[in-house]
Amino acid sequence: MNLERLPNEEKLSLCRKYYLGGFAFLPFLWLVNVVWFFREAFMKPAYTEQLQIKTYVKRSALGLLLWVAVLTTWITIFQHFRAEWGEVGDYLSFTIPLGTP
Amino acid sequence: RDSPIDLYCYCGNSALHNKITSESLYRELWSIKVVDICPNLNVVFFCFAGVNCNSVEKKIYVNLNYTIPCVRLLNATHQIGCQSSLSGDVGVLHVLESEENLDWVLSSGQTPPYMVILESALFTRYSDLKQSIMMKLKEGSSRVAGVVVVAPSTNPPEGFSPHHACPNENSGVYSDSYDPALAHCNATLWNPLGSGLSYEEFDFPIFSLKEDNDTQVIRQCYQEHNRGGNGSNPQYPLCAMQLFSHMSAVTDTATCMRRNDINFSLSPEMVCDPLGDYNVWAATRPLNTTTKGHKMFESVVIAAARLDSRSFFFDVAPGAESAATGFIALLAAAHALRNVTQAAQPNRTILYTFFQGETFDYIGSSRMVYEMMNNQSVVDLDNIHSVLEVGQVGLRPDSKLWLHSDPVSRRNDSVNQELVENLRLAAGTTGVLVDEPSTSQPLPPSSFQRFLRARPIPGVVIENHDSRFSNRYYESMFDNAEYLNVTYPPNLTPEEQFEQPLEIAKALTEVATTVARALYVQAGGSESQLDSINADPQIVSQMLYGFLVRSNNSWFQQVVPSELASHLGESQSSEPTLLVQYLLANLTGSVVNVTQEDCQKQREHEKDEDSNYMWVQGAANGTVRESFCVRSTVHLSKALSPAFDLREYTSQDYSTWTESRWKSIKGRIFLVASPDLEKLTLGVGVGVLLASLFLTYIISSKADILFSSGREPATATY
Repeated sequence: MNLERLPNEEKLSLCRKYYLGGFAFLPFLWLVNVVWFFREAFMKPAYTEQLQIKTYVKRSALGLLLWVAVLTTWITIFQHFRAEWGEVGDYLSFTIPLGTP
Repeated sequence: RDSPIDLYCYCGNSALHNKITSESLYRELWSIKVVDICPNLNVVFFCFAGVNCNSVEKKIYVNLNYTIPCVRLLNATHQIGCQSSLSGDVGVLHVLESEENLDWVLSSGQTPPYMVILESALFTRYSDLKQSIMMKLKEGSSRVAGVVVVAPSTNPPEGFSPHHACPNENSGVYSDSYDPALAHCNATLWNPLGSGLSYEEFDFPIFSLKEDNDTQVIRQCYQEHNRGGNGSNPQYPLCAMQLFSHMSAVTDTATCMRRNDINFSLSPEMVCDPLGDYNVWAATRPLNTTTKGHKMFESVVIAAARLDSRSFFFDVAPGAESAATGFIALLAAAHALRNVTQAAQPNRTILYTFFQGETFDYIGSSRMVYEMMNNQSVVDLDNIHSVLEVGQVGLRPDSKLWLHSDPVSRRNDSVNQELVENLRLAAGTTGVLVDEPSTSQPLPPSSFQRFLRARPIPGVVIENHDSRFSNRYYESMFDNAEYLNVTYPPNLTPEEQFEQPLEIAKALTEVATTVARALYVQAGGSESQLDSINADPQIVSQMLYGFLVRSNNSWFQQVVPSELASHLGESQSSEPTLLVQYLLANLTGSVVNVTQEDCQKQREHEKDEDSNYMWVQGAANGTVRESFCVRSTVHLSKALSPAFDLREYTSQDYSTWTESRWKSIKGRIFLVASPDLEKLTLGVGVGVLLASLFLTYIISSKADILFSSGREPATATY
């Protein structure tokens, strides 16, 4: 879909859908939202719906950052302590690399 | 296959058993499949260019044909053994000629890591493990990629045992609660030569190679490429070796058994298997196998021996003195007792038991005792009258047999001296010198200790040593036929060797006769019969040949079924369980005249369900074999540590040994270029790629200028 060809109202509704969808533990929707609507929100000459789109994009970016922070922290902790946790670590793992503690 | 244990693959550590060896067989097949795919890919890539497909790999690598790895074992708290990384460990070859040479590997060499080729004298010669070359290499493991030990053709004269100095220290009867003064070999150190090398953990692969073409190629490659002239540094290309022995299991048994059970991943994989196999047992009278637990009015005398041994390397476990002398003597004794126990049956039953996995904290015996305590066995502990165990009994000229018994039982007076008296009586009739060690000395490591652990049962362990082992190669690859003097003149054919009487067999036959006569009296038989009980020296000679030299011989072929016969090999079988099972059936059972079908259905008479019928292939008569059916009381019982049934993987009472699985074990040598040349090659490749991308971009963006010819644009025709 080419954003250029959409009327402004539909851009807004699309942006809102992605923004709301992200709350269903789908941070990738927020990532798409930020990347896709960044030009619309900040680079394009002003139009009525732009303000609303700006808010959605900003909030999506914030949510995305939060997710990235949380996931990075967890992955770092998990990778670092998996072997130490022993049983718990094994049960939390989807695949356990062979031959490593 | 219909047999309960269907494994005739002789590739296990001999303590490891059917289940595990079948796994490794499977693994072998599996890895062959994988390897097969690769040449096909080569076909796809290279055949267009007209290049012969397999030769690319062949031109680079020389694969080693005969490699024996050291593999990883785990118990409740530790992992031992060796492993490589998943993609194999690579190092520059260094043939270690003397100990001074070690400096090159550990500090002065310019091209680490090194793959150290160790002459076996350097592997075995040390007085203290900490000072040994292997431990120095272990400490400098950042500069060591792996070790290859060249197996010697003769045994080291100074003796060598990589096993513990105090075997099965924590799983025997002596503990802090039984008799603290005797625990942990405080009173007698049984195996003072034992260095514990087999129980160390190495984080590089260690392989053993036979002295043959492979080692010639390695030495030649080393001489040509890796020896700089006049002590200078050698120039690239250097000869290198890559060893693969990646192990799937880590940490300890609890961890690997847990990972075996986790199967929510996409491809659940087993990472380790409990060590286990089967015990073999037979009784002089058929015991009702359908009802388990206590048998009224039954009293059994257990005659025990062990079947297993180990060494530092996987698949090498000759155990000539440590196991074979004992079980061969007991087999010969069982044969000597066949007729007399049928003609003049004593009031007690003699139960011959052959335990597996005793090296690894008494797997077989602890399982049998566990089953007897839990009414899962044909008899229970109350049925046991006494135990006579045959340990290491290879006698040298003018050596004595020593009758070991438990000082604690003697003190508590719960043991009568009956068994010792009977043994002395029997020895008196055969002329074997017997003696008792000092009264304060504990039992040597023996299966009987597991019975004592459960209950004070009278028992004696027969050994050829008074205190410390006389075996100088306990649980090592040198405890072999040569050590027992089972050697033959070089000009004999295999069949002539098989028939050749052996000096050691005479002594072993006398031991067997002594054991048989003592057992008969112990079982309540009359002393007047003793003269008719005689072990056959020829059978003993033949068993020594069959178990220690070459399992593929005419006798073994006759007494095994055809499935097993094809697995009899040119060398020693490292999987004696099934051979002992069939030999015991042959030596104690009788031939019955039934068809193959009836034999396999196991019923000559409907009611006779306590005997075991085996259809064996018989003597060759031209091209046809005259197969026959043997009826005996021989049975197999599981030798799997109860810890695995109870799921107590950190058990203090039972063996927790497991063996890691692996996917490929192989080694290969090749020439490596200098790192500078490697970097240059990669750099040029990347440069060419980037240049071509750039060129393509330029050409495509300027296409209309470059390709604007006089003729019509091609698109116009569409």
